[in-house]
Amino acid sequence: MEKLFGIPIDALMTFLLFIFGLCFVTLVVSALRNKVMFKIAARNIPRRPAQTMLIVLGLMLAAMLFSASFSTGDTMTHSIRTIAVDYLGEVDILVQSEIEESSGQSAYFEQSQLGTIQQALNDRNEVDGIAPAIIERVPVVAPDSQLNEPAVDLIGLDSQYMGGFDSLLDEDGDKLSLGDLESGMAYISVDTAEELEVSTGDSIQAFLSPEPTLLTIAGIYEKGGTPSEGTSMVMPLSEVQTLMNTQETINIILITNKGDAIDGAEYTDAVMTALETTIEGTTLEAEPVKRDVLDAADEAGSMFSSIFLMLGQFSIAAGILLIFLIFVMLAAERKHELGIARAVGTQRSQVIRMFTYEGVLYALIAAAVGSALGLAVGWGMVRIMAAAFSEMEFELIHYFNPSSLTIAYTMGVLLTLTVVAISAWRVSNLNIIRAIRDIPEPPKAGKSSIRGLVLAIIVPLLGLLMAVNGIQQEEATPYLVGGSMVIVGLSLLARRFRLPDRAAYTIAGLGLLVFWLLPRHPLIGEMDQGMELFFLSGIMVVAGAVWVVIYNSDILLSAIITIFGRFRGLTPMLKTAVSYPMANRFRTGMALAMFSLVVFTLVVMSLVNHSIGALFDDSERLSGGFDIQATVNYNNPIPDINTAIEEAEGINLNDFEAIASISGTAMEMRQANTDQEWTEDPMFLQGVDSQYTNSVSYEFSKMAEGYDTTDQVWQALSQNPNLAIVNPVVVPSRVNYNMGGQPPPFQLEGFYIEDDALPEVHIEVRHPVTREMQQLHVIGVLESTAIYSAMVTTSQNTLNSLLPRPLTPTVYVFQTADGSASDIAKSLEAQFLEHGMNTTVIEEQIDENNRVGIMFEYLIQGFMGLGLIVGIAALGVIAARSVVERRQQIGMLRAIGFQQDMVQRTFLIESSFVALLGIGIGAILGYAISSLVVNDMSGTFEDAQLIIPWGRMIMIVGIAYAASLFTTYLPARQAAKVYPAEALRYE
Amino acid sequence: MNNGYIIQVKGVHKTYDTGKIRVHALRGVDLSIKRGEMVAVMGPSGCGKTTLLNCLSGLDEIDEGEIIINGHHIPKMSDKQRTKFRADEMGFVFQSYNLLPVLSVVENIELPLLVSGVRQHDARKQATSALELVSLSDERDKRPAELSGGQQQRVAVARALVNEPAIVWGDEPTGNLDSEKAMEIMKVLRRLNKEKGQTFVLVTHSPEVGDLTDRIIRMRDGVIESDKKNGHKVKNT
Repeated sequence: MEKLFGIPIDALMTFLLFIFGLCFVTLVVSALRNKVMFKIAARNIPRRPAQTMLIVLGLMLAAMLFSASFSTGDTMTHSIRTIAVDYLGEVDILVQSEIEESSGQSAYFEQSQLGTIQQALNDRNEVDGIAPAIIERVPVVAPDSQLNEPAVDLIGLDSQYMGGFDSLLDEDGDKLSLGDLESGMAYISVDTAEELEVSTGDSIQAFLSPEPTLLTIAGIYEKGGTPSEGTSMVMPLSEVQTLMNTQETINIILITNKGDAIDGAEYTDAVMTALETTIEGTTLEAEPVKRDVLDAADEAGSMFSSIFLMLGQFSIAAGILLIFLIFVMLAAERKHELGIARAVGTQRSQVIRMFTYEGVLYALIAAAVGSALGLAVGWGMVRIMAAAFSEMEFELIHYFNPSSLTIAYTMGVLLTLTVVAISAWRVSNLNIIRAIRDIPEPPKAGKSSIRGLVLAIIVPLLGLLMAVNGIQQEEATPYLVGGSMVIVGLSLLARRFRLPDRAAYTIAGLGLLVFWLLPRHPLIGEMDQGMELFFLSGIMVVAGAVWVVIYNSDILLSAIITIFGRFRGLTPMLKTAVSYPMANRFRTGMALAMFSLVVFTLVVMSLVNHSIGALFDDSERLSGGFDIQATVNYNNPIPDINTAIEEAEGINLNDFEAIASISGTAMEMRQANTDQEWTEDPMFLQGVDSQYTNSVSYEFSKMAEGYDTTDQVWQALSQNPNLAIVNPVVVPSRVNYNMGGQPPPFQLEGFYIEDDALPEVHIEVRHPVTREMQQLHVIGVLESTAIYSAMVTTSQNTLNSLLPRPLTPTVYVFQTADGSASDIAKSLEAQFLEHGMNTTVIEEQIDENNRVGIMFEYLIQGFMGLGLIVGIAALGVIAARSVVERRQQIGMLRAIGFQQDMVQRTFLIESSFVALLGIGIGAILGYAISSLVVNDMSGTFEDAQLIIPWGRMIMIVGIAYAASLFTTYLPARQAAKVYPAEALRYE
Repeated sequence: MNNGYIIQVKGVHKTYDTGKIRVHALRGVDLSIKRGEMVAVMGPSGCGKTTLLNCLSGLDEIDEGEIIINGHHIPKMSDKQRTKFRADEMGFVFQSYNLLPVLSVVENIELPLLVSGVRQHDARKQATSALELVSLSDERDKRPAELSGGQQQRVAVARALVNEPAIVWGDEPTGNLDSEKAMEIMKVLRRLNKEKGQTFVLVTHSPEVGDLTDRIIRMRDGVIESDKKNGHKVKNT
């Protein structure tokens, strides 16, 4: 991974290390000057080992999430890089003709052009080799084993140019020389040999044309033979030229830079500059393939890290609350000694330093533990992802970059340090006498302070400005955040005018809930919404709900006592258990917020994923009604598929209800009547025949004016020239999930996918060589479930009218009549072996994709579920503290008749109450937000509706609750074991 | 042992082992208290007064000896049985009141009844009556922190008496109060002792408190030094 959120990793690491170093040096100097305070801080850590463990557990979470996220990104980058290196080897740049043949492949060009390239790069010492080549994809059959491989990369190379490139090495590491090959011989790759079950000396048939060419295998290579995918074969260039009847022409020039397969990419810019001036004006074009793939690998890695960081931000937010809570509770525990310290002359600033030293020591340990555990979590995540990707034949190789680990560690420490410093400042503000005599602090004087007044005026004003700005800019985030500030600010202001806290916070809480949960804001439908809204909505609704619950706890308490009070044995425990958390608003509010936040995210992810997943479970809808998709080799296409099937044995036309063909070519595109530039790289324009338009069942989310039914659109596309339909990917959305990925290379403008109507939109398409141009009227936007559709689709007639000669289709889709699609697909492959027919049973592919999707869903939920550690640790810390604080009260309860198990149950009920309340708040808010999200999706997914996966919901609630009971069990047992006589002596 | 006594104690020894030091807190205590008596246990700090009270009430265990309360052998009971016995037969008043800060006055008082399995409705009724006894009916819905020290101790007294226990134990019940408030509480206790006929055992440093009891037991170094009834010495049985 080279970048995170667009910032280069090295720069980010340098910056973080600088800040970390600065803080560290400052703290060390400060500690040396305040040795006593540092000693007190350091000696506080081992005082309560169990509590220290809980604190470390809570503080490590941020670093763990950072580390796990980065490790998945690094793995993704590394895996794609590995594939790139396997595919390209030493090749850095490809030079090809920009002219396409009717097959869609790059045209051949004179081999003499190699000289021009060599001349241009002659004095460039960055270049290590330039080689002419022919690369063709051909079907290959092994007569002995009766096995075939429809797509083998045949590479024709000239040994005299291959100096700087990869050598062909067999399994023993011995070099296979091209010069040793006689006519009719070829080397094949290990993968090809395995697929065809052949070995050295065996014969194979390669279909370079309709007539097969018999070749003898002279050797099997394990390395080399690049650029190619796994199944490849290598022959001398001259022989391939003879067989292909392309004497003195080639279709590719390979260039390798000095350095190894990865490092060579850094010279790409220099070589490309030299090349571009040479090939300018010719029909050749140069592609920096290695650098492009490495960039794509970095982008994918960055995107994965960003996704997991985005998903982890709720847990990190909950973690920040936990750090704050932990330090406030530590201060409460040491209130007496802090009071004494202040009484004997310790300055407030020294108290702040003492807490900060202690916090830093915790942070240094916790971030190290967290970063290491994050690697373990990342490894687990990669294992799950690898299982998911293995179905797609993409191998994930676990990897982490030391820079990423450094960033995770420093970010974890700095985040904790910031929160610790703020907490230390807050807790240092104590009254000496109250601290010494352990008298409760009176309510804060915020209502009457000048600072409070200024805050109460500034917050709503600032909010109003933000909201207005949001409306003007049509941006949802400033509008919603500003609106929330107005609601909260006005409540704060009302407190200034003697409105009781209960009323003020209840109004603020309800206001936030209504503002964020209204089905549709009057304005928000027109606004742009970013991914940050998910995070903000969670924070805001949870804050609102917690305020309402905490400030109206008496109602809740009465309701609980009324409901459960009828169980006589339960009443005294219930009363005590529920009254304690409700009386301590700060602690309970924090714990509730943590639990609610994490459960909220789990519920939202689960509901939304499940609801969308249900749409992608309908294979009929996804496939457009087709059962089989088939591709044939461009070197040997089928002139007429219907006739070919009629003439084939073992298969006949009655097996099919529809047979449609698809062709396509790359075209430059732009939207007409706008100032859009032509797309940088040509885009794929798909042409479908009338069989396709007559049988496809894809629906449209939007249709142009004048079209009322889906059928009308498909028929018009087939019958009228210059019409097009588009995939929703090319239509902009108001919801922007920017995860660091690239935007689509071509996108329409002037309307959004969420809009109801499709305005008059035209696309200009231009042939990259002939410059033939045509304007296509967009008459429909497909539903998002049309996953087998191209970005832009037109009729084959319209497509062919743009080309020098008509394209022969190489893709077919079939609707089968009766019988198994799988069997028919196998028959098709067998019958059209020499055409390299490769079939996909669409339903099987969709099922496979769904399985991958479900695996990812579980992975994401598991990752987000890590945040539960925060809520659980919070309950553990609170319970442990409560046992100490209430020791005397426990003694009294035992004196008046509370049995040991009653004390234990009281503590467990207390934790259960907070946990279940938090889970309940999180689940209800999650459901409400999910409804809004699914409702907002109706622009993209017409039939989207909220579906509740009850089993998973029960699992989330069950795990969250069970884990909370687990951490409070020990403190509860400790409480039960409090010896009454000892506890009552504890004055 | 004589069954005419509600509390009968013989040869009670109790040692605390703190790891480095062994403290012999009770060194063979013999004692009997009649039903309905109000007894003060006095003596210097560390003489074993509170330890004696804890052992008699079953809050603490003894090493040796016999304790019979209302006919029950306390040392032979399990923790569970002792706890149940306390809930049914005993009330407690402590120096620092030990009210639950999160419960209201009336909820604090009704708690022992709820523990004993009394219905919520009945418990509330009895708690309200107990509040009347200590003249705090108007404060029933307040939290302890909203009351003065004297009021809080009256609430603790009401809580100790609400389940009409046979014995009420008081560990420095007036220790946190000024002399005026202390006398006020003692008068309440004395009145209730007279009206209800319950036995009161009060650990105290205060001679004024002692003067208001029927009998004063003085302890020193873990043994009973003297035992006087209204200034007259009584013989232990």
